[in-house]
Amino acid sequence: MIVETKKILIDSKLECASGEALESFELMTDFYGELNEKKDNAVLVCHAFSGSHHAAGKRDSNIGWWDEFIGPDKTIDTNRFFVISVNNLGSCFGSSGPLSNNKNGERFNNDFPQLEVIDWVESQKMLADKLGIKKWHLVIGGSLGGMQSLQWAVSYPKMVKKVGILAAAAKTSSQNIALNEVEREVIRKDGNFHDGKYLEFNKSPVKGLKAARMLGHITYLSAKNMDQRFGRKLQNTDSKIAEDVDFEIENYLQYKGGKFAELFDANSYILLTKVMDKFDIAQGYDDSLETALENITAEVLVVSFASDWMFPASNGKEICLASIKANKKCSYIELEGEHGHDSFLYPNEDYQNAVKNFIESK
Amino acid sequence: MKSDFKRIIEKWIPQNTKVLDLGCGDGDLLEHLKDSKNVNGFGIEIDISKANECLRRNIPVMQCDIDQGIKEFDDLDFDITIMANSIQCLKNPNLALQNILNISNKCIVTLPNFAHWSCRLDLLLGKMPITKNLPVPWYETKNIHLCTIKDFEELCYKLDLSVIEKLYLNHNFKESPLTKLLPNLFAAEGVYLIERK
Repeated sequence: MIVETKKILIDSKLECASGEALESFELMTDFYGELNEKKDNAVLVCHAFSGSHHAAGKRDSNIGWWDEFIGPDKTIDTNRFFVISVNNLGSCFGSSGPLSNNKNGERFNNDFPQLEVIDWVESQKMLADKLGIKKWHLVIGGSLGGMQSLQWAVSYPKMVKKVGILAAAAKTSSQNIALNEVEREVIRKDGNFHDGKYLEFNKSPVKGLKAARMLGHITYLSAKNMDQRFGRKLQNTDSKIAEDVDFEIENYLQYKGGKFAELFDANSYILLTKVMDKFDIAQGYDDSLETALENITAEVLVVSFASDWMFPASNGKEICLASIKANKKCSYIELEGEHGHDSFLYPNEDYQNAVKNFIESK
Repeated sequence: MKSDFKRIIEKWIPQNTKVLDLGCGDGDLLEHLKDSKNVNGFGIEIDISKANECLRRNIPVMQCDIDQGIKEFDDLDFDITIMANSIQCLKNPNLALQNILNISNKCIVTLPNFAHWSCRLDLLLGKMPITKNLPVPWYETKNIHLCTIKDFEELCYKLDLSVIEKLYLNHNFKESPLTKLLPNLFAAEGVYLIERK
């Protein structure tokens, strides 16, 4: 499989939904496979909140977040499809965001324009134009990436042949926003946050970021899955990573949270959770989901997981029912999913067959 | 699904209509209707591998329990709904029928006749019937609300539904002089096109 990673400069202005603008921006992008002559085999894979462009393959001992789904003969067969995976604007893995510089050469920090999902779609539309891709065979993603896929199908109906919406919702719930706000508050209250200007003080609110992620991580798992995996098992004394840890689950969250805080940027965390909070596809359509979906011409596949309590299965079903009402070609698959919200990331035969059959059907 | 059976259902489906198939299985009926009648078809199927087969055939499918599903369908709008051999699997067939006729103008119901002579014979011998169209033993069957042709027609009357068309078929999906003469004894399947009065 041909794999390429490129930082692509889009030298045009991006007018954001908030009214702010970026004069130009960069998108860190992974490419898997080859674009065919007709340029009709392109697939856009949209990552979740804290994901990156690195969707497949092994790089510096890290495996891509959807490695078991993207590759030769895999769910998205790179012998047939040309897969593009873009690090979203505002993130911290190479695309323009709080870590990059503004036009005056100063780091944005917390002054990066507050984005919305629709801005990501606009930025990727500009990328598609640059690459000469007029129509995606498929736009697909899980969680926030699923919301982005839905936004693509609504914003640019003629450019999307099929859309896959996995473990996502048409809007974030009050509970989603509430949890995100706790996570943000934990970061803001870290003494090293310095109102978001921490890098100017050579500091980083790693403690806050770690705690935020620990809470976030719980929302990605299911209670059943946690019980099966950790139960009430006590942590071995020699492998404790914090002194007052008793249970394995505590140690696990400490470890995962700590790892994450080393890799992620706090301003991005705040910005991206806000992107999630603001998402409501029916906004601007009289709050009617059915009306919002009216323009879609893509075939739609919605996959939900019964064990997901972040975006419960009823959220997915709601999208499908509204699509049917709007006379769209929409399918809905509901799987148990052993991993709660995160189930969309894990291989599973029924799940992969559903996605593969959907992508490859004529 | 047997092609004779498909042909019968096909006759009652107008061109270019919006069709809901409850318990659509692998989607072969909807695929057939898409090709022959250009219908805008949509299926409900509880079994994931069958639903995945629908996806392979590019037939839109909602993988869920019909009993659950219909409740959430109240403001959908279909021209015609098909319940091929699935009404006897539902928890509340009577409520389901009413709900279906809220969301679609017409409904095609096919059901195995529990009063077919072979069923009666099995019962006379003291056994739960196992026949060509009821092949699964009582402890494994999904058919929890089996009925007879007489029962179903009485239910339609009680619910104020009119039967526009009906066919009584033998095990080979054919009408015969016997099935016409004494349907409740000789028909293995009842096939109905119903609507609200």
